[in-house]
Amino acid sequence: MKRFLLWFAPGLIVGILLMAGGGRVLNRTSTNDYCMSCHIHPAADNSWKRSVHYETQSGYRVACVECHLPPKGDAYLWAKGTTGLRDLWSYWTKDSASFNWEDRSRLEVARGHVYESSCIKCHENLFPAKLTKEGEDAHLYYKQTKKTPDLHCINCHLNAGHYMEGYTHGSNATFGSVSSAPKEIFREPTRVTGFNSFTEQVPNSSVSFRMLAIQGGRFKMGSPADEPFRRSDEGPVKEVEISPFFMAEVEVTWDEYLAFYTQTSAEGRSTDTEGLRTEQASETDAISGATPPYGQPDQGWGMGRRPAISFSYHAAETYCRWLSQVTGKTYRLPTEAEWEYACRAGTETPYFFPGDPKKFEKSGLRAKLSKNDTTIINSFIVYKTNSQAKTQPPDRVKPNPFGLKNMLGNVAEFCSDWYRPDAYSLYEEQLLKDPRGPESGEEHVVRGGSFMDMAGALRSAARDYTRTEAWLKTDPQIPKSIWWYSDCFNVGFRVVCEFDEKTGNL
Amino acid sequence: MKKSSISRRKFLGKAATVGAVGFVGPAIITGCSSDKTKAFKPVAEGTWLDQAPDGPVLKAGLIGCGGRGSGAAINFLNAGPNLQITALGDTFRDRLESCRAGILKQKGQEVPEENCFVGFDAYQKVIDSGVDIILTATPPSFRPEILAAAVAARKHVFAEKPVCVDPTGARSVMATALKAKELGLTIVTGTQRRHQRNYVANYNQVKAGAIGDIVGGNVWWNGGKLWHRDNNPAWTEMEWMIRDWVNWCWLSGDHIVEQHVHNLDVLNWFTGGHPVKAVGMGSRQRRVTGDQFDNFSVDFVFEDGRHFHSMCRQINGCAQNVSERLQGATGSTNCIDMIHDLAGNEIWKYAYPLDSEGKEDKGAMKPAMDQEHVDLVNSIRTNQGFNELENTAISTMVAIMGRISAYTGKETTWEEMMNSDMKLGPKVFAFGPVDIPKAVPIPGEAYDPVEEQKRAEERAAARAKQQAAQKPTN
Repeated sequence: MKRFLLWFAPGLIVGILLMAGGGRVLNRTSTNDYCMSCHIHPAADNSWKRSVHYETQSGYRVACVECHLPPKGDAYLWAKGTTGLRDLWSYWTKDSASFNWEDRSRLEVARGHVYESSCIKCHENLFPAKLTKEGEDAHLYYKQTKKTPDLHCINCHLNAGHYMEGYTHGSNATFGSVSSAPKEIFREPTRVTGFNSFTEQVPNSSVSFRMLAIQGGRFKMGSPADEPFRRSDEGPVKEVEISPFFMAEVEVTWDEYLAFYTQTSAEGRSTDTEGLRTEQASETDAISGATPPYGQPDQGWGMGRRPAISFSYHAAETYCRWLSQVTGKTYRLPTEAEWEYACRAGTETPYFFPGDPKKFEKSGLRAKLSKNDTTIINSFIVYKTNSQAKTQPPDRVKPNPFGLKNMLGNVAEFCSDWYRPDAYSLYEEQLLKDPRGPESGEEHVVRGGSFMDMAGALRSAARDYTRTEAWLKTDPQIPKSIWWYSDCFNVGFRVVCEFDEKTGNL
Repeated sequence: MKKSSISRRKFLGKAATVGAVGFVGPAIITGCSSDKTKAFKPVAEGTWLDQAPDGPVLKAGLIGCGGRGSGAAINFLNAGPNLQITALGDTFRDRLESCRAGILKQKGQEVPEENCFVGFDAYQKVIDSGVDIILTATPPSFRPEILAAAVAARKHVFAEKPVCVDPTGARSVMATALKAKELGLTIVTGTQRRHQRNYVANYNQVKAGAIGDIVGGNVWWNGGKLWHRDNNPAWTEMEWMIRDWVNWCWLSGDHIVEQHVHNLDVLNWFTGGHPVKAVGMGSRQRRVTGDQFDNFSVDFVFEDGRHFHSMCRQINGCAQNVSERLQGATGSTNCIDMIHDLAGNEIWKYAYPLDSEGKEDKGAMKPAMDQEHVDLVNSIRTNQGFNELENTAISTMVAIMGRISAYTGKETTWEEMMNSDMKLGPKVFAFGPVDIPKAVPIPGEAYDPVEEQKRAEERAAARAKQQAAQKPTN
């Protein structure tokens, strides 16, 4: 009987709606209490109560439906109807405790249930007298790029309706200045006199990291045509020979990146549009590093040993130049071939551990029904299924046969090659020695997949690339930062060090 | 008068027929009459106020007491009843005093000593002195800050053109303009052609279709040398630069911005848009002081691909021309008082006031510099919130875009302007040496045989390296 009632309640409600002529019921079902009577997300209720919208400066309390439904007259009834039915369906068929609510408050998801027209309905005036300098630039930018539908108010004001711990909107000038307990400060870099793994010490910091000696050798770059999830840019397979080099055991951590940031960060920004008007940037020895970020580059997930994210390809390259300078060695980004060689570590299978990519995919009804065993991939890779939608410290996973951690998953990694989908087919038909990719291009290669990816994008041969414009879309600064991506937080990098005369190759 | 127009038509007869064939032909075939263009009916001229309406006393403070500022003060006081200048601000005492004496002599108003402010911070003191309106005619580099402060204090504003000298300033003014609009403040800028009766009448005809869609045109400010001040050993570098400001880019924006903005503003006004790209050139031939060019020639391109040419010069003894000419699909106009059809027939002419002998008396038309203050006071007293600051910021940005293209030799785009963080001038304003680069810009690269050789070798080495990298070693 209970079940019967539950299933027929929607019909009942519709009937009542019709009978009562709509109005009163519509209003009743739009109250905050009504929303919260079903919505089983106490975290969301509480964060709303801590937000600026709960108690605005004028004393007004913004209701749930004022953001989560469009303004009246703007397809309001339709949205209310569909949203209501969806909510009922979820209420009866799903377990709200199984939802990752933190993940659902991410921008991409939040955009789906916050109406921009509702923001504008109240915030008609985008240029109030008190608007700050930064606000002026950001709102001018918004006004001029309004035509791009993907620029939503909450791109910058995500915390307006629900309080978010650590959310920063504004120039984050103090970023990276928080220091932990005093540690040993290294005076000298590590001296390397032969081809053995070593622990690099960053002078004038307490930062050190492991560099593993990767023996040279040959491997097959790319994936065979029958590999599951293969894409055409992964072939044709090439026979490649790689010279010995050193590679970092883990992706560059926040600790490492912040050593660079604090030692080189610059206050001013310069984009010289008038050429001779401003002084020519001289090629001095001093490396001018990243400017303060806008917002929270670590996404509030914490720093320390987690991989550094949100910085630009340019910043990663500058980091390598800086590291070379302070350690007296030759650090750089890996080439795509070096990266895949190190990742495969002698294997020719989709991953450096046994397993079929199809069996690791957990999305889709079939995958769910088949109850795939993901124990092995779980132990090696931080990916969508186990990441809780954020990066994880490297200790979370086991290393590959070369001893490298997180080659696949956690964060994707920049390589030094320009990306071209047909890059492999442009090489000559012979054994390639230390290939470096196309001579020029627009975007750079990104490898390894990330905590946001599913198993298919995490294969050793899978290729991806930077998307400079999209990754800067919501940067409200004018001009946009060359140091930080506003819209990319799943790419980092790993350094390699050349085995040359500076590291004992005499 | 009639005769000459007939003879000219005769003279143009042949050429006009040839030109018209391509145009009229298709119209006949499709049966669509071209009467519409031939029989263009001029629209009636709107009414103009000679004086602003009366109302409670409006107090204005003047920031920037140089020649134009002193003139604007008198223009303002002439605009209607119950208007006062109650505060003055300038960087220099002598400029302030001469302005103050002029107001006393011409209008019998004495600005009290306690409301006379001198120094770089004078503007804020004028704003805070209890005035309703700010008149400002400082060098344009200071305008963005003054405008922002005035609007923050809810003051109506008359601001001379241009309103900034660099992209950062232009964006600041755009935002200030939008804030002022939201607050309902009146802002009139010195782009006076928009308050000049013949221009406005002409604009109304063009808007009503007198020349069809605008397809191209030219704007000119080819004039003589302006003025300069030689350095004086008693002055610091800062004082000299400010007294010599129309010759320094960081203060004036160069003459394409400082002066030619008038004509570029007409282009924006008549087309209802603005260029998004510029390729310009220019140089310095005769200028005496400062770091500016004295001639520019810029090709401006609109989003839809239409080209307009802009030319400006400040050199004595050359051909002079300060005007605009826009070409439409069915006619052309000089934007100020005349419209012709494609055959060269005059189809509209501005009716100037006539003198006692029945002759045109252009001087009897109310000068735009007075009219703009009548419009200012009228908008304030009738609560209209007339605000042309955003338009002027856009026109100034267009001029800056042209300047940067000429300085760099590169194509510049609107998007670059909207993203540039260029801010000219020293970081701090204080009397003493001015720490900015002062070289006159030189676009492009010089031919250098040694460099050329080096580059060729680098290219060859890169090629060799690339080839070697792809070859097997065994």
